[in-house]
Amino acid sequence: MTISKKPGTTRKPTAPDAATLTRMLYYLKLTREAEYRIERVLYRQGKIVGGVYVGRGQEAIGVGSAIQLKEDDVVLPSHRDFSSFVIRGFRLADVFANWMARADSPNRGRDNTLHIGSLKLGVIPIISPLGATCPVACGVGLVLKRRGRGNVALVHFGEGTSSVGDVHEAMNLAAVMKLPVLFICNNNQYAYSTPTEKQYAVQSLVARGPAYGMPGTSSDGMDVLTVYDTVRRAIARARAGQGPSFLEFKTYRMTGHSAHDAAEYVPKIHLRAGTQRDPIQRLEKFLVARKILTRQRIQELERTINQEIDGAIAEAEARPLPAGETALEGVYCGLDCWWERPSVVRSPLSVAAEAEVRATHNGLRTPDKY
Amino acid sequence: MPTNVIMPQMGESVAEGTVTKWLKKLGERVERDEPLFEISTDKVDAEIPSPAAGRLAQILVKENETVAVNTVVAVIDGEGAAVAAPASETSNLKSEIPAPPALAFSEASAAGPSAPPAETPSQAPAPGVPVRSSPLVRRIARENRIDLAQVKGTGLGGRVSKKDILNYLDGRQKAPAAQAPPPSLEMPHGPQAREAPGAPTPTAPPQIVFTGPTQVVPMTPMRRQIAEHMVTSKRTSAHVYTVIEVEMTKVAQIRERYKDEFERRHGLKLTYTPFVVRAAVEAIKEVPVINSSVEGTNIIYKRDVNIGIAVALEQGLIVPVVKRADEKNFLGVARAVQDLAERARTKHLSVDDVQGGTFTITNPGSFGGLFGLPIIHQPQVAILGVGAIEKRPMVRDDAIAIRPMVYLSLSYDHRVVDGAVAERFLGKIKKFLENWDELVL
Amino acid sequence: MALMTYLEAIRQGIWEEMERDSSVFLLGEDIGVYGGAFKVTAGMLEKFGEERVIDTPICESAMVGAAVGAALMGMRPVVEMQFMDFIACGFDQIVNMAAKIHYRWGPAVPLVIRGPSGAGVHGGPYHSQSNEMWFVHTPGLKVVIPATAYDAKGLIKAAIRDDNPVIFYEHKFLYRRIKEEVPEHDYVVPIGKAAVRREGADISVITYGAMVWTALEAAEALEKEGVSLEVVDLRSLLPYDEEAVLASVRKCNKVILLHEDTRTAGMAGELAALIAEKAFEDLDGPVVRITAPDTPVPFSPPLEEYFLPNAQKVVDAARRLAAY
Repeated sequence: MTISKKPGTTRKPTAPDAATLTRMLYYLKLTREAEYRIERVLYRQGKIVGGVYVGRGQEAIGVGSAIQLKEDDVVLPSHRDFSSFVIRGFRLADVFANWMARADSPNRGRDNTLHIGSLKLGVIPIISPLGATCPVACGVGLVLKRRGRGNVALVHFGEGTSSVGDVHEAMNLAAVMKLPVLFICNNNQYAYSTPTEKQYAVQSLVARGPAYGMPGTSSDGMDVLTVYDTVRRAIARARAGQGPSFLEFKTYRMTGHSAHDAAEYVPKIHLRAGTQRDPIQRLEKFLVARKILTRQRIQELERTINQEIDGAIAEAEARPLPAGETALEGVYCGLDCWWERPSVVRSPLSVAAEAEVRATHNGLRTPDKY
Repeated sequence: MPTNVIMPQMGESVAEGTVTKWLKKLGERVERDEPLFEISTDKVDAEIPSPAAGRLAQILVKENETVAVNTVVAVIDGEGAAVAAPASETSNLKSEIPAPPALAFSEASAAGPSAPPAETPSQAPAPGVPVRSSPLVRRIARENRIDLAQVKGTGLGGRVSKKDILNYLDGRQKAPAAQAPPPSLEMPHGPQAREAPGAPTPTAPPQIVFTGPTQVVPMTPMRRQIAEHMVTSKRTSAHVYTVIEVEMTKVAQIRERYKDEFERRHGLKLTYTPFVVRAAVEAIKEVPVINSSVEGTNIIYKRDVNIGIAVALEQGLIVPVVKRADEKNFLGVARAVQDLAERARTKHLSVDDVQGGTFTITNPGSFGGLFGLPIIHQPQVAILGVGAIEKRPMVRDDAIAIRPMVYLSLSYDHRVVDGAVAERFLGKIKKFLENWDELVL
Repeated sequence: MALMTYLEAIRQGIWEEMERDSSVFLLGEDIGVYGGAFKVTAGMLEKFGEERVIDTPICESAMVGAAVGAALMGMRPVVEMQFMDFIACGFDQIVNMAAKIHYRWGPAVPLVIRGPSGAGVHGGPYHSQSNEMWFVHTPGLKVVIPATAYDAKGLIKAAIRDDNPVIFYEHKFLYRRIKEEVPEHDYVVPIGKAAVRREGADISVITYGAMVWTALEAAEALEKEGVSLEVVDLRSLLPYDEEAVLASVRKCNKVILLHEDTRTAGMAGELAALIAEKAFEDLDGPVVRITAPDTPVPFSPPLEEYFLPNAQKVVDAARRLAAY
């Protein structure tokens, strides 16, 4: 049971290899630019409607954790973890198409923001009542444990969400049943406009871990290397059958709670701190200092990323909106269930049933990419 | 291909935005995603990037102007068809909520009565006297061309139930010759013979075709009601009758002088009825007991003077009511009377139109009678009968003069109205009519 | 065939599905070692082991959430609510998570939530509720309520095999009070189909759950007076058998809608609207509802008796309707 050192103290993390570091920089920058387009361009052009939530400044958590996942691991990201989706394999064009409410998109226009999921890619999305994915992660962990192949489930939530009952029920259940679940708490100091002083009475959320019978850590969420290392240890524990962990990462929001929030309640000093501790700049500095990447290479990377995003947006924009009547389809999964069934655990029954579905209906209506 | 630039929605409940600054001038070139204008909303101020590359061809919303979300604020003359098409699609993202689907009526009801069900009176043989049944029974009646008024009802309150109509059908099938009513029942009387389908209605009195020494014709519901009401009224009130004679010279003169102008101005015929109604109203004001009813040992005086005007229809009699006649001037009364009479004839009276009367005026004179002795319309205590207006030789200043005269009869309830009171009432009417000085136009 | 109670039939249904499909497993409070508060799961821990019969902490929300997670991973969990009154503790997970996953992002969520509901045992407000309409009003869920032992076994099997989240209401009053001959082989009662329990001609009584027996009792009494009641058991509330309801109304032309649930926004209201829309011209009398009043379920016996519909109330209403 580890109670962490004072939050903010760095113990030198073990850095991953150069290839992984480069990939992490790529995903950090891709996330930053993609979310910029979503929040500050497409939304303001009226091409994205409804609510928009991005994780500007908090990208290190998604990147540092998802990059370590193996094929049959499962992640349940929050709305601040854009990178988790692309790292697991979602195509950029599909993500933008979902934002823009297209028919050909992971949610087919039925849900928005990052409520996209794929059993094949091992991603389960949130519902808007936040915290509800924590118990779901327990169910996932239960099955992964039974399979016995050392897979883990990661569930992300914010410090505001950590006040919700479901999170507590889930942490208790995971600890009692010793499930391979990482409870990753992104503490960006504000839940919408509610500062932490109004959210919880403990000095640090790290106390929640031991309170339920699991180790708790509190670390700097603005440094992707710290995130990587802390998550690595917790994943190792879980894979070894030692049960769940609670990981708090402190970050700074660099924008409002949502695209329509001017965040005037956030003290300027806080936003400045976020900018000073920008995870992207930190990693770039590290990589250049270690001569792993040159500035020129980084600029090339930026160009590549911009092109990729331009192409993805153009592709998504060209797709049509769904026809009104399609709203009636797919309320129930029957013989015409048009999404793939899970491949992770098969029972003789579900294998037979699935063969029946395929035999009866010449393939599913959506390509089996998810 | 031009691209519309719209006011975006910055937040789920935001409905409008203000353009605070245009960052490009009219005709100036702008790149895609380049900042084009600034806005201010309830929640946030923001810089808006251009949705397309091209020339700023039109500025439709000026600085400091506030418009609804999705309003087109500018147009860019662009290059690239691919950009324009999706842009207009996305600006339709918030297109109107589709109209709610039409109510799902079953096929059966599509063939149902064309009159909306709420207007029971227009389906009924006569307003206020519907044949009670049920949707099922009405459908069976319609499908088998049965006149529901012919079917005996044994359901609750005498309604025609499924059992009743099925029995009737049974009987009809067994003895068609004896039971089938003669086909040409109706004596067409122009528009009054048209009925709403689904509620067959008896119209003119049937031509009697004798198949034996007697022919049994069941009463229509309206007739049943009238019969019952008349007998009950006689049993309830202590009917006493009195008659006076009124000279209508002045009224006739006024009528003669003003009837054309009246018709031209108001679109109404100037008849004698409103004169009589006005006179009765004024007389009631002075003899309020006439406007009362009896409950046990109490006399219930009514504040409003609602005058019922009896109207004869081929199948019977109906008494629509001019509500609050005491608040109406001559024109108001004339208009109300005309309206009610017309609606009575075209069967558009509502239940409310025939309820709440406090005094009734009937016109036996319209059929030629000298005077009548009508039965009081319960729960009122008096009824005025107006005879025919005829020129008669009268003694005026010891000489014979020809004057238009009319007999007015009052049937009154001696439980509460004494002879002297009745005479006083009639006297007031006479005085009012003979000294008419109210403005007619 | 074997003579068994309604409760035993449910147990046998679950047992058979556990044997047939290894992805079926159970979660709930006190279901393992104790065999369940009503003993529905007695013997299952010994037979199937700890991994498939899980005694959970008291956490209805986490139970349902974990069941969703497991279902997404290919399992077929069956969650027991010790009393259906406590299902409210897991409400968000049921209506926002489980019910909407397939519609929004595709995968099936094959889970069953089952438990005892209904009154008549002096249980008071939190051990007697009929709260099925909360879920009938949620698209994406299915809701079933068997009234016979035969249906209880057939429907629990159908629910477990269904790829959608199914809420399975058992009536605690019926647990040990009805005993029937139930086939011991595998069979399934389809979800969404009603059953005519008694043929009749004068008045159709459409009902479900324990009230089916109340209606049958009333029908016996009325037969002697020459009034013939037809009793239709809905069995499923979502989806419900529209055709069966309309066919019965068209046959009898008078209808009584009967349920133990409270009046406002109960199933009877939904059926009354359906009948008015689609069978208006088949009605020879007004649509009559017999339900509990709009109060929580009271505890004291005379209060509960007043609250619940019973055979006498059905007889009285049927007499009036027959005479209309």
